Amino acid sequence: MTQPKCQDPVILNLWHPLAAVSETPAGVVAETVLLEERIGYAVDGAGIGAAWRSRRDLPAGSSIDVAAVADTLPAKIAYGYIWTSLGNPPDDLFPIPEYAEADRRRLNAATMGVNVSAPRAIENFLDMGHFPYVHTDILGAEPHTEVKEYDVEISVDRDEILATRCRFFQPMASTVSTGGADVDYVYRVPHPYCSVLYKSSPVDEARLDVIAIFLQPVDQEHVRAHMMLCVLDDENEDKVIKRFQQTIFGQDKPILENQFPKRLPLDPRAETPIRADKSAIAYRRWLSQKGVTYGVIPAAS
Amino acid sequence: MLDTAKTRWHPIAASSDLPFRHVFHAQLLGREFAVWRADDGYVNAWENRCLHRGVRLSIGINDGRELKCQYHGWRYSNRTAGCTYIPAHPADAPARTITNRTYPAVERYGLVWSAEEPVDEVPAVSGLAEGDLLVLRGIPLNAPADLVADRLKDYRFQPSGRLDGAEADVTVEAAGAFSAALCSRDGDAATLAVFFVQPVDSGRSVIRGVLDSRLEGAERLAVLRHHNELLSKLRDTLERDAAQMPAPAPIEPVIERVSPELAEMPEATPHGRKAAIRVQVARKWAAADGIAGFELRPIKGLLPTFQPGAHIDVHMPNGLIRQYSIVNGPGESDSFGIGVKLERDSAGGSSCMHETVREGDVLAISEPRNNFPLRRDAVKTIFVAGGIGITPLIAMAQALKNQDLAFDLHYFAQNEAQLAFPERTGTLGMALKPHLGLSPEQTGAKLREILSGYRPDTHLYLCGPGPMLEAARTIAAELGWPETAVHFEYFKNTKVIDDSSSFEVALARSCMTLTVPAGRTILDVVREAGVDMPSSCEQGACGTCLATVIEGEPDHQDVYLNDAEKRSGTKIMTCVSRAKSARLVLDL
Amino acid sequence: MITLYDYELSGNCYKLRLLMSMLGIEWKTVPVDFYPGREHKSDWFLKLNPLGQLPVIDDDGFVLRDAQAILVYLASRYDPAGTWYPREDPKLLGEIGQWLAFADGITGTASAARLHDGLFYDFDVEAARAGAHRLFRILDEHLWFGEQEGRDWICAANHPTIADIACFPYIMLSEEGGIPRQDYPAIRRWCDRLKRIKGFIVMSGVFPAGPARAA
Repeated sequence: MTQPKCQDPVILNLWHPLAAVSETPAGVVAETVLLEERIGYAVDGAGIGAAWRSRRDLPAGSSIDVAAVADTLPAKIAYGYIWTSLGNPPDDLFPIPEYAEADRRRLNAATMGVNVSAPRAIENFLDMGHFPYVHTDILGAEPHTEVKEYDVEISVDRDEILATRCRFFQPMASTVSTGGADVDYVYRVPHPYCSVLYKSSPVDEARLDVIAIFLQPVDQEHVRAHMMLCVLDDENEDKVIKRFQQTIFGQDKPILENQFPKRLPLDPRAETPIRADKSAIAYRRWLSQKGVTYGVIPAAS
Repeated sequence: MLDTAKTRWHPIAASSDLPFRHVFHAQLLGREFAVWRADDGYVNAWENRCLHRGVRLSIGINDGRELKCQYHGWRYSNRTAGCTYIPAHPADAPARTITNRTYPAVERYGLVWSAEEPVDEVPAVSGLAEGDLLVLRGIPLNAPADLVADRLKDYRFQPSGRLDGAEADVTVEAAGAFSAALCSRDGDAATLAVFFVQPVDSGRSVIRGVLDSRLEGAERLAVLRHHNELLSKLRDTLERDAAQMPAPAPIEPVIERVSPELAEMPEATPHGRKAAIRVQVARKWAAADGIAGFELRPIKGLLPTFQPGAHIDVHMPNGLIRQYSIVNGPGESDSFGIGVKLERDSAGGSSCMHETVREGDVLAISEPRNNFPLRRDAVKTIFVAGGIGITPLIAMAQALKNQDLAFDLHYFAQNEAQLAFPERTGTLGMALKPHLGLSPEQTGAKLREILSGYRPDTHLYLCGPGPMLEAARTIAAELGWPETAVHFEYFKNTKVIDDSSSFEVALARSCMTLTVPAGRTILDVVREAGVDMPSSCEQGACGTCLATVIEGEPDHQDVYLNDAEKRSGTKIMTCVSRAKSARLVLDL
Repeated sequence: MITLYDYELSGNCYKLRLLMSMLGIEWKTVPVDFYPGREHKSDWFLKLNPLGQLPVIDDDGFVLRDAQAILVYLASRYDPAGTWYPREDPKLLGEIGQWLAFADGITGTASAARLHDGLFYDFDVEAARAGAHRLFRILDEHLWFGEQEGRDWICAANHPTIADIACFPYIMLSEEGGIPRQDYPAIRRWCDRLKRIKGFIVMSGVFPAGPARAA
């Protein structure tokens, strides 16, 4: 058994996403990097995936019978992606029940490389205060800059962070009205490197769109960000929905790549939180409590 | 081995790298800086990361007065680097201590010099006369500074008057670990070139050259090109050689931790009526008929960060303490401006400022406190000033103007001669709306007109004499303005304070119960028990000594809280207000 | 009406959006799913551009490909002042042509590095970065001497030209390919100037500048 490059048992034992199934040709070997190691993977047309530490007998581009590959890593297909683990992962991945709802559109908006640690990207995903400045005239607009009080809890039985009652002013909040309005958000962090966001649907007041970010840690300071959409929209073409999400993520990218240090500092005195950062404060504490060391700068004990 | 001493001055930029409204990205010994020149000429060199989430400030916006972080719009003041506004919480004044790490920045020889912990001044360089120099194009290169400095001693160039020659004799006049002074002579032409090598990181440098004489026109360009060409060749050789050597590990600068109280979202920081700062009256002038303007400059160091709406306590020569609002616009951080109206029934405060205090006098002032914070998330802001009440609103109006946010400033005064600080209000353009010589009835009618048609996301800021404020607040309420949209500041509390009650105060966090007898205030009793409580006006007007009520019914006697806040019974001004119940529990 | 076949994150498409915005012309957008859908290699798109590259415009039936070529066309046809591409000034046209080719070099290096880092293109990223740094050094020197001569823009004119537009996007996006601009102060100042041109718009990855100082 080779010694993994990543020495963080918490991270090693997690499921990590590798690629969108829709973008992986069936029965063909593809390669990627996870936790500084080259990983080979493949899916077949029937919903089976396999992953292994990259090896010569299975070069990228070669055709294989996925079910017959031996000496593999744990593998799972979930939410449109193939997942693997370099350790001993739990049986199940965190639940996203809405993914099963038949009338939703399920897409990978894109998989993009970002020069930042996974936890920095999660924190940005949880953050509303930057909407007017980074996503100007889309998710926010000056002077409507206030982050109103919201609730954060760490759910003990589910071991995840939950931020509720989040609201932020969005210009052109819905397709039916021209003016701006407060939009409701709920954020979950069910995995140190994954987050799920629920947002008022512009087409159905009673339901929420689901947007998730699954971060594949290439190394401590580089990620592949997989953006999953599970939305109510029977009008727009896929590419229009993807374009919107890529525009948003493209706006976050230069911020993420200009954060210093790139790894997330867990020392409470490393940076200056404000009330609006409640969810980020909870996230940093949660990572500390779990003993995560990969992609972060742990607080001196 | 590279000398990484933090005490040594190094150039980090050329002066010409800092045009107005630009942020230069510098680095010295591994540490990055955001360097920017404010419109008043001051050069700021700050650590290149916003204290909030570590985003580089070199991608931020220099608006001439403040640097705005690109991520969340936090604003940091010229000079002090103190945060003046956090848009996510528009109703709060940011804790004054949220301050970026600053470094010295001194312009000399056409370069900007800095050091982490400098000793003494920027070293004098013999042969270079300030103002009569030619600064060469800086040459960044991937090679360690010590190697570069060593090789520069062999740099060969022609004196400026003899570029076409090739026979120049170059001598090393002086050489140090990070510099080399070379003199090139050819016939009767001689040029001194001094090169400074900026150690950017362990393996990266910038060569910054300065020649001893200023040139003009085509000759100047020819000399600049001559050196650029030769230095580029030197760079190419140096980079080839450096690539052969083992790459040194990058220098990892230590990021200082923020202060413990900033690790959690702080309450207002406690401070009593302390005269913490000594200032000199740099200028005293008639800001208007009956109003004296004072420009207060620090005796040494920098003044602390202020926000629009903030006031300072001024300790006068006669022992009195008075509060005055700062009239400065954003980023005007080299002095505090205040306006003092001569009160006819002055108890000695305003008359002392008018008659006794002169230019050159030294006064003690408190740090600025902001109990009248300005929201900047309004679609439209309406300012209503009466007389000297203009002072905090001038500061606010200038801040909104700087951010291009919509506002009107209605300024009520007896006549034009009484309109204070015309040099400041004059910059506000059509937003300034003076209303002169109106009777109380006419004032009321005008206020009705101004305040009609309330729309959500509009905010109203009032400051002026008590009767006018009362009228404006009443009219605003009648016209449908919610209390949360009406913000006001009284000069003073003219109510007669009834201090005849006696009651108990329990301090929840300090675990003590005290008795407040008739004739004494909560503030006095609490302080006597050793609990630090800030205060300023001590007459229920300024808002500094606010405490949170956990239990019991307050007997409000202040003019700071609005009616809704008073009704809710959760806040109390401890300098004047008391208890209707037998016991109050305060969060102290 | 001009139709732009467009991908939001493409710097080459952004060049055209930028110039059209500065010229005040209207256009409509047909989104092309460049990534991950590779729609620029689809049959329908290859009929528009057999090279399978963005951007392409269709101006009332006149179809044109190649960002630099389209800049030339738009400025020649829609700039009444004739400053973006001054047809009457042979030297300036020559200079513009020279820098349009340089802009292609930036695309071949800085954009390639960005595609490698962001969208996992199989390029030699170290070679791409080194190539971009070589070009940036040349441009920084050129712009620095321009400042010394009182010239704000890439070409010898007292106004910007399409050469500035052509070079700008992939320089601004270079950090996404691991190419910092710290060593190019004159380029950084020129970027600020360009962002202050009337009609400037951003794309994802490019922030706006603050207002210039009132003269």
